[in-house]
Amino acid sequence: MKSRNQAPAAALFLLPYATVFLVFVLAPILYGFFISLHKWYILAPRPEFIGLRNYRMVLGDDLFRLAMLRTAYFVVMVVPVGNALSLLLAVGLNQNFRGTAFYKVAYYLPVVMTVSVVAILWRWLYSTEFGLLNHYLGQASGVMHGVLPKVFPATWKTEWLNNPRTAMPSIALLSVWWGAGGNMLIYLAGLKNIPRELLEAAEIDGASPIKRFWAVTWPLLRPTTLFCVVMSVIASSQVFGQTYILTGGGPYYSTLTVILYMYQQGFGQYQLGYAAAVGYVLFAAVLVFTLIQFRLLRVKQ
Amino acid sequence: MKKRARLRRPFSASAFAAQAGMMIGALVMLAPVVWMFSTSLKPESAVLDANPKWIPNPITLEHFHRLFTQAQDFPVLRWLANSVFVACSVTLLVLIVTSTAAYAFSRLKFPGRDILFMVVIATMMIPGQVNLIPVFLIVQKLGWFNSYFGLIVPCIAGAFGVFLLRQFFLSIPVELEEAAFVDGAGLFTIYWRVILPLAKPALATLAIFTFIGAWNDFVWPMIVTSDISMRTLPVGVMIFQGRYVTEYGATMATAAICSVPTIIAFLIFQKRITEGIAMTGIKG
Repeated sequence: MKSRNQAPAAALFLLPYATVFLVFVLAPILYGFFISLHKWYILAPRPEFIGLRNYRMVLGDDLFRLAMLRTAYFVVMVVPVGNALSLLLAVGLNQNFRGTAFYKVAYYLPVVMTVSVVAILWRWLYSTEFGLLNHYLGQASGVMHGVLPKVFPATWKTEWLNNPRTAMPSIALLSVWWGAGGNMLIYLAGLKNIPRELLEAAEIDGASPIKRFWAVTWPLLRPTTLFCVVMSVIASSQVFGQTYILTGGGPYYSTLTVILYMYQQGFGQYQLGYAAAVGYVLFAAVLVFTLIQFRLLRVKQ
Repeated sequence: MKKRARLRRPFSASAFAAQAGMMIGALVMLAPVVWMFSTSLKPESAVLDANPKWIPNPITLEHFHRLFTQAQDFPVLRWLANSVFVACSVTLLVLIVTSTAAYAFSRLKFPGRDILFMVVIATMMIPGQVNLIPVFLIVQKLGWFNSYFGLIVPCIAGAFGVFLLRQFFLSIPVELEEAAFVDGAGLFTIYWRVILPLAKPALATLAIFTFIGAWNDFVWPMIVTSDISMRTLPVGVMIFQGRYVTEYGATMATAAICSVPTIIAFLIFQKRITEGIAMTGIKG
């Protein structure tokens, strides 16, 4: 376009977004770091500057370390299982069976629901006495008891969310159910981008469907996989709503995740400086982990 | 096309098994949602049946009726109104501020443009939850705690829309604008009359994503409000459930009210959503 000085016009066009961006995105990043350098109680009259002491305390905090481990446990369950499921569903959709449109809707539907609805729905499904899961699994166990009485008890139930050993896997399961549809669509787009000629050539050469998948599809899908894995690591390391609503971090801290701990410190104990430091340490950890993933998954390209 | 038809396999056992697997998967994925709607339509006495029934019989609207008429200490209608107002405002404002910014970033020349854009994009890498505390303090300082401003304005600052629209604007041929420019149109006219109409598909995609995201937001409304009448539905659902732990029918009815708008939006704009995810997923 004609080279006129467009800077004043640009400033006008940018003004609305720039204002909110500055106040609610950019400033908070710096302000958050500033807060983390202070002893900052919500109710105290004046924050006290303490340098990096919050960070030192966070790193030496047993509960924080526990929360990091529990979060890592959650990520390690959700990311591989969730991505494998998403990819499997995408491969299924890509076969273009009859009814694919319906399948796509069914698999994606949970994604458009909010976390509180998902959580209270699953709290009931997981309920020891009234839950559908115990009901149907108990029935199945009763039936199998007739066949293999030693392996399957006649009546069976478990305390999904009240048992420290099963609480986190239960939360991981509902999170996989909730989120699998999102990555599925991205994998599906990736699959559609794979040149049909390559797959047909492999088929003519007599490669089985499984062989075709590993030899042609999987390597070509690598950028998509990298993207999905990285994004789900970032998202799942911030898990909050599920644990906040369903377990509050319990039983015995078995579902205490980092963002939940940050929330408890910030809005429960009013230690905002400390909570901000927790957030930054998590961010740093996730950032490092993301860079490692890029290294690992990209090198082979 | 002919070649493809030749290569299509005939009916086989493995295809049948795959098809069956897809169907079972669909039923498992849908089951909790169906259970929610089914329970919300059951009379309270039938909710905890020893043999779970998936199809309510008789069907009753008693839970919805009660929620909308009696529950004064749990203003579900007010929560619904809040959610509608907040989600619609966020969507509208996001469309306005990100499209003007994207226009500047994609079409206008000014010093520091690319660096500025990089800064905006870089913030997409920062997880939202980490910013929670500073944003909360800023909102509090502005006096926006417990207000619609607090619920709405911080949620329009995300960089995703700017990124999405700029990419789309760049794909629009410049010649169209040059023609308008020769005809004497100003920059705003070009933005409003040429760019925006051509960018409708991208704007629609952004609008749907923003609406569903804003509607479903849970953490921010929970933190920035404390007054029961300022809550949005997702937060309300949790409060309601905390109070009426054993009233599954009423709880599921609240959850259903909260889920219906996004489910309908998804069903209507399904194609746009799936294409949008594919597009941004690949580009991201």
